[in-house]
Amino acid sequence: MKKKRKTAGVFFAPFALCFVLFWLVPFVYGCYLSVCNMSLTRGNQGFIGLGNYIQIFTAGSVYSEAFFRGLKNILIFVVTSVPLLVIIALVLALIVESLPEKVKGIYRTIYFMSYAVSVTAVSAVFLWLFNGNGGYINNVLLSAGLINEPVSWLEAQPFAWIVLVVATVWWTVGYNMMLFINALNSIDSALFEAVAVDGGGFFSRLRYIILPGIRNVMAYVILMTIIASFNMYGQATLITRGGPLNSTKSLIMEINDVIFTNNNLGEGSAMAIIMGIVVMLFAMCQNWLSKEKKEIKEVSGS
Amino acid sequence: MKWNRIAAVTLSAAMVVGLAACGSSGGDSGSEGGSGKIQISFLNGFTGGDGDFMKKITDGFNSSQDKYEIVESQEKDHLTQFKANGADLLIMGDTDLYTYAMDGMIQDVTDIYEKAGLSTDDFVETAMEVATVDGAVYGFPLDIHPLTMFYNKELVSDEEVPKTYEDLVNLNAKLQAQDPSLYVMTVPGSGISEQYWMALAAQYGVELEEDGYCNFAQDKLADVFMKWHDMVFVDHLSPANMGLDSEFTSFAKTADDITTQAAVSLTGVWFYSTAKEVYGDNLGIAPIPAIGDSSATYGQSHNFVISSEVTDEEKMDGIVEFLKYVYTPENLLNWADSGQTPVYKPTMDLIRENPEQYPVPAVNVDTVSDCAFSPQVYNGIAQTNYVTENIWGKVTTEENLTHEDLMGLLEQATDNAKQLAGVQ
Amino acid sequence: MKGKKRLKRLILVIAATIIAYIFLVPLLFMVFTSFKGLSESISSSELLPHVWTLENYVSILEDTTTSPIMRWLINTIIVTVTGTVLVVAVDCLAAYSLARLDLPLKGKIIIFLIWVMTIPGIVTTFPSFYLFRELKLVNSFIPLIVPYTANATGVYLIYNFLIDFPVSLEEAARIDGAGEFRIFWKIVCPCIKPVMLTLAFITFLAIYNDFLWPSLVVSRNEMKTLTTGIASLVLGANFVNPGLMMAATLIAVLPALVLFMFLNKYLVRSETNVGIK
Repeated sequence: MKKKRKTAGVFFAPFALCFVLFWLVPFVYGCYLSVCNMSLTRGNQGFIGLGNYIQIFTAGSVYSEAFFRGLKNILIFVVTSVPLLVIIALVLALIVESLPEKVKGIYRTIYFMSYAVSVTAVSAVFLWLFNGNGGYINNVLLSAGLINEPVSWLEAQPFAWIVLVVATVWWTVGYNMMLFINALNSIDSALFEAVAVDGGGFFSRLRYIILPGIRNVMAYVILMTIIASFNMYGQATLITRGGPLNSTKSLIMEINDVIFTNNNLGEGSAMAIIMGIVVMLFAMCQNWLSKEKKEIKEVSGS
Repeated sequence: MKWNRIAAVTLSAAMVVGLAACGSSGGDSGSEGGSGKIQISFLNGFTGGDGDFMKKITDGFNSSQDKYEIVESQEKDHLTQFKANGADLLIMGDTDLYTYAMDGMIQDVTDIYEKAGLSTDDFVETAMEVATVDGAVYGFPLDIHPLTMFYNKELVSDEEVPKTYEDLVNLNAKLQAQDPSLYVMTVPGSGISEQYWMALAAQYGVELEEDGYCNFAQDKLADVFMKWHDMVFVDHLSPANMGLDSEFTSFAKTADDITTQAAVSLTGVWFYSTAKEVYGDNLGIAPIPAIGDSSATYGQSHNFVISSEVTDEEKMDGIVEFLKYVYTPENLLNWADSGQTPVYKPTMDLIRENPEQYPVPAVNVDTVSDCAFSPQVYNGIAQTNYVTENIWGKVTTEENLTHEDLMGLLEQATDNAKQLAGVQ
Repeated sequence: MKGKKRLKRLILVIAATIIAYIFLVPLLFMVFTSFKGLSESISSSELLPHVWTLENYVSILEDTTTSPIMRWLINTIIVTVTGTVLVVAVDCLAAYSLARLDLPLKGKIIIFLIWVMTIPGIVTTFPSFYLFRELKLVNSFIPLIVPYTANATGVYLIYNFLIDFPVSLEEAARIDGAGEFRIFWKIVCPCIKPVMLTLAFITFLAIYNDFLWPSLVVSRNEMKTLTTGIASLVLGANFVNPGLMMAATLIAVLPALVLFMFLNKYLVRSETNVGIK
């Protein structure tokens, strides 16, 4: 028995070591930094208690302005991008699944392929695709008669958000679609036949079989998409650079700026922790809404 | 089975390569290389076309030497790299120099001037001023790169090259009559925009610095922003809502139904090589026109600075030797080849003698002496960034912007600046 | 009835094709712009080049200081492959230990891991960067690879798969006197292959697509991966013409695109959804 324990320890040790070194230590250190007056160039200037946190919640301070502006911006992005990323992914999955077997693979590959393009490459393409002075998208929309004059995509709102959301959907929707396709495949086909016998149309199938059948995957996809949208950084950094007038500057960009441009690592760490708490709250609400507590209970019971 | 084995071999090979590379990339900070020469690490941000010209200088030095070796690395984020890994010698802009000096990251080089056979009088005064912090000199000025005007000779004849605001208006009227997609210039929404308001602030005689922070809440500065706004929305010298780098991209574009083209571009000298590639002999270069009360321009400077970690006598001697080499008038001409304007007076004289060979520096060599710079304050970049990010964008997008709106925003910017400078 | 069904199917295929075209536009734009010359690529608002040129590819491959794209590609392969292998190995061992072996405090560890999974990564990103910087390890492969191994989600994913998996085979081997490691390697690993591959794929994508972390810990051009390398072309102080940018981007994404085309067939059949119960 003792020997077995030892083996168990040996098997677990590499992960434990990595986890402590690369998660626990930084986590604890991050908490420590957030209560220090700390800068990258001057080092630690001493313990200041909750000073950094107080700054975030003091109206009129630079950091309060930055944090809440970033929070507002990222919430706009989360609210607009998450529904699109989930609904479009589901629609694509349903389309792919009802296509003839022969061509299924081709379409699935095309929809999924853009996920192989790294975020910086996506940004490089969309930056020029949506050029405001001339530009391909303007050209297409003008010749299709959808707009009357060229749109300054990246210099005015809501266009800048539209570009960021379109770029994000194009980039990541394929991954969600894959998860949905797998979920659809695992629904018992006998159920579909039963509804077909009852004469139910597509929408009753969607309502009574498909949605309940993929409920758990749906909850997972929504959760992951919310977290990913909160962490949006590359697209806004490279396509809009936070503009126009800082209106697309995401929270992570603000934190990054506080640490590097304003040279305040302590304040940035405090902001990161508050951001972490906000994201956790969102995740917990979503989890609670989809009543997914069952699994955790099961595990803790064992 | 076969696939498994191939996969296993590939993976383990990748591991070995990865780990080996991990091991080798760490230890390059030793001061003596295999050649037995004393190595000095030199870090700069010249990753564009100008990098090759700096390389020529360091290569020239290395082949002239058997005691010291300059190990140059050119990195895009070279200051982050400096904060992360350090370096002995580096290039720093005047916008960062004050903050780095205050943070004790770079050292006072007053004594080294003499050792390198140089005097502060050898350099353009303005460049020397921004290399000085509280009476101590922290840098050896390399160049000043002022906001410069490029023009397209196909659209602008020699007599039409704008020198005043009036000229811009007249030229614009002519171009608009020719084709509504043609404008005299483009005011960019972001990118080089900070230089735009700084340049006009200099022409209006605005003094931003006050007790260690930037005082933006000045009527005259609001006038500066209003002037740019009116150029777009009242005099229509530029289309509205133009984006990043548009002052240059619209200059390089060809007008059609949906694309506007600018005949003139107020921009940075680093666009020179691209502009030259597009327009060839039709590219004209001139100082920026006087839009405000004077013809002053705004510029930034590059300086050689020495890390405060360098204490080793031999290393310091090596740096001194290198500086002696750089500040030999002919050697520094290599830098003028890149389009930058050196501020070492003997080299400037050589440029004046050969204007054809150095088209951009020849234009700028006389403007650099009355060039205005960013305020010398702590966290200066953060302070001015705030204005550029939060206020400038309104100038090119909001038609109804008023002087009062601007004053409100500028007051807020001043409040922020005080916090960032640590004076409040 | 049959005709109606066929019509429906036709409409569906047409809709799918239109969507597919929309999905392909950005990629086509990338490909065609990369063949445009300098002034055309800045000026053009059309998809196809008027004059086709290879100049962008020539200059991107010749220039090894500003955009050493082949170096970035090699770095990317080293980082993603090593990182993925490490993560899968470490996580599988830990999950096996939690699910099958007599590890003390098992239950508590699992609850702890679930808690950790809900804490967003941003909380550890900046302090990790600072620590690596203090240790003078930035600008090396180490920070680009090892931090990904602290992956609680991966352990949990495999743990979940293992507890649903029958023990009988292992027990038989154990009775035969095989050592734990032998059992793990010879019996357990082949059985959990699908979930291992899923974890490998997810990890590969996470490392390949990560942008914030590598842009913090690597500032030296020659140490950059494709993702951060392309970013420096877009963000750099010097103007990079769109044709050149697209050529670099295309070279950068081509290997991953090809990989995806072959992998996606497998992914549908695999257990991508495993662990989401």
